Amino acid sequence: MRRIRRDFAVTACVCMIAGMLAGCGNSDSTPKDPDEIITLRILENDTAKSKGYLDELLNAFNEAHKEEGIVAVDANMDEYSNLAENGPYGYGPDVIYQANDKLMAYASDKHILPISPEDYECAEYIPEQAWDAFRLQVDGESYTCGIPVNIQEPMLFYRADKMPENWETEWDDDGNGVADFFENWNDLYAYSKYLRDTDPSANKDSQYGFMASFNNLYLNGEFIFSYGGYVFGKNADGTLNTEDIGFGKGNAATGLMALRQMAGLMNEGCIDDTITSTRYEKVADGTYFCTVSTPDTYTLFVEKLALQYEDSGMSKEEAQAKAEENLKMVELPVRLPADGDLSRDSSELADGDWVESVVMGGVNGYGISSYTKYKDACVEFVNFATSYDMIKTRQEMLGIAPTRSDVSAESGDQTSELIFQSLSENRIYLMPSVKEVDQIWTPSQTLLGDVAKDSFRANSGETEKYKTVEDMQTALDGVSKNIYDAIYTLAD
Amino acid sequence: MKKKHVSKAAILDAVITYVILIAVCVIFFFPVLWIIASSFSRSGSIYDIKGFFPSSFSMASYVKLFRDTAMYNYPNWLLNTLFVAVFSSLIGTVLVILTAFTISTFQFKSRRLLMKSALVLSMFPSFMGMTAVYLIMVNFNLINQLWSLILIYAAGAPMGYLVQKGYFDTISNTIYEAARIDGATNGMIFRKITLPLAKPMIVYTALTQFAWPWSDFILPKLLLKNKELWTVSVGLASLDETQFSRFAAGSVFISVPIVILYFSLSKFLVAGVSAGAVKE
Repeated sequence: MRRIRRDFAVTACVCMIAGMLAGCGNSDSTPKDPDEIITLRILENDTAKSKGYLDELLNAFNEAHKEEGIVAVDANMDEYSNLAENGPYGYGPDVIYQANDKLMAYASDKHILPISPEDYECAEYIPEQAWDAFRLQVDGESYTCGIPVNIQEPMLFYRADKMPENWETEWDDDGNGVADFFENWNDLYAYSKYLRDTDPSANKDSQYGFMASFNNLYLNGEFIFSYGGYVFGKNADGTLNTEDIGFGKGNAATGLMALRQMAGLMNEGCIDDTITSTRYEKVADGTYFCTVSTPDTYTLFVEKLALQYEDSGMSKEEAQAKAEENLKMVELPVRLPADGDLSRDSSELADGDWVESVVMGGVNGYGISSYTKYKDACVEFVNFATSYDMIKTRQEMLGIAPTRSDVSAESGDQTSELIFQSLSENRIYLMPSVKEVDQIWTPSQTLLGDVAKDSFRANSGETEKYKTVEDMQTALDGVSKNIYDAIYTLAD
Repeated sequence: MKKKHVSKAAILDAVITYVILIAVCVIFFFPVLWIIASSFSRSGSIYDIKGFFPSSFSMASYVKLFRDTAMYNYPNWLLNTLFVAVFSSLIGTVLVILTAFTISTFQFKSRRLLMKSALVLSMFPSFMGMTAVYLIMVNFNLINQLWSLILIYAAGAPMGYLVQKGYFDTISNTIYEAARIDGATNGMIFRKITLPLAKPMIVYTALTQFAWPWSDFILPKLLLKNKELWTVSVGLASLDETQFSRFAAGSVFISVPIVILYFSLSKFLVAGVSAGAVKE
């Protein structure tokens, strides 16, 4: 028995040592065999996949590079898979497509490789603002860690067949062919109020004007950034100063008074995500006149509207065609009242009484994983994916606003031209490209939701919290402090 | 015929009992009914619901579930779940029954220590060790492998051997002694005496070993990165907010096999659960 035990122990030891030695040796994984196929794993977003663009891209790339032995495949992972979690263990993608804040958070922790813009044919066509979204400052050096593809900003969605019949005579004072409520917030407020006041239903819940979940900073940033507020300040050299948190700077408090006022014409769904979730159905059935969303959700609005038309007796094809014809997407009104009072008659306001709206936006782009074994092949892929032809195809299939000026200019698509123009005219406040930005969402969401709730407090017998600009200023300063603490105090 | 006298108190007692039971049934059944109704919503959205139920019904969500597989490959998730659950159940049941039989029948050194250790270890919630499990699986190159799930489910199963041991404890030792006198080995005793007697317990064990991987979320989410390998629970969790009816349809469909199993095997299940509760 003792001998069996000894033999067993020796065998176990040999197995353990053999196991450990198996992990040693040359770990160079670059292909040694010239015939070896390089497989690149590409992580695109779900929209690109569901609309067939990813297949189009992969097929085109693989066809063009079949002689070189490079094959690109769908990484087939969740679109928000955590590169930091999967990459180091070899399960992450080689090329990742993400918004600038996500991609640069990875870059800050060195999960994304720095690139040289001059390696990419698209570089000269992309404006500096878009490149800036992917720049990282480390020890005084600037590194570019992503290749911009398209710009995102919140847009206004509405049904053209729900426009008031008399809008050209009653709601287009300047006679420029664009309804005033799409040009300035005071008229949007006035039209929303008109709809609420004339709601025929007993419960007064069948017709609303502008509707939005106000707890979302990304979708409602204009109430802060148009008035001089900002997320992070800048150092003298233009780099971001994450210690300077500016939610309460400028007249941001005045802007939030306007948000509070607008919330008064909605229902309590504006306090949380309810409106964000219901917007597709409610615009389709005409309960909401218009709402705010990002361009990539356009097809969802069309889908729901088509269903609505089908219910009214149209064929599937007719319903789809009519939905595409009637579902409109325009930029948010570009003018907000400088004094934050949306109830003032817009015709009485002079040019100086307005501020130009600045919305929050982002730039989506490609990044190359630090854990890829085939950097050169990844560069080749990204170069291909950001070429004129592929970006044009992407725009046609997904309705994106490309960062490539040549595609944008030649497309004839008004939406992408407008977005591109807004970016070049600094009307889009890009999400800061530092990982500290992760800390801004929760505190700002809490405040915005609370400000929206203030409009309903009096009705439920509660005391209103934000009656004056000073109250709002105190709250905004509190948010800035919370964010600062989250970044510097609690994180340490 | 003599009429049986029922007192007013007894009638009142029965009425109250039934009212309470019906109320409890409604409370528990309503969410199930709601999710079934939602799975037939025509618009596919949770916000189409007027009051409690959708305004219009259709089978579209079920059709989409099995036909529209470009983004959400439900049939594939279902096959993966079935594969993991069946093999986990088979291997896990063998391991649990063997463990329980060994602990119940044999007296050996450290037996008590082993039992106490298993009892204490089973008190810890399983997700506590998830980080360690992940690192171990990474080092054994078992990420993105369905067998890694089977390994963990089956290997962890014997920790819950106590119910089965309780049942084996009720089998009289004199039967085993008689078999030994007739020349039966331990293996023969297990196969020819214990297993036939333990049929309800085996069914109960197999069913519980099947149900756990069938509905588990945390472990597959941790170990399966590739969408093609996802199980139903991970896949359903990835559906976006506009796909509520598809989510409901997927939830209803995944629950059908387990409900059928429970109903068809309920006779064994009840016997298995109650077995060993009373020591004779």
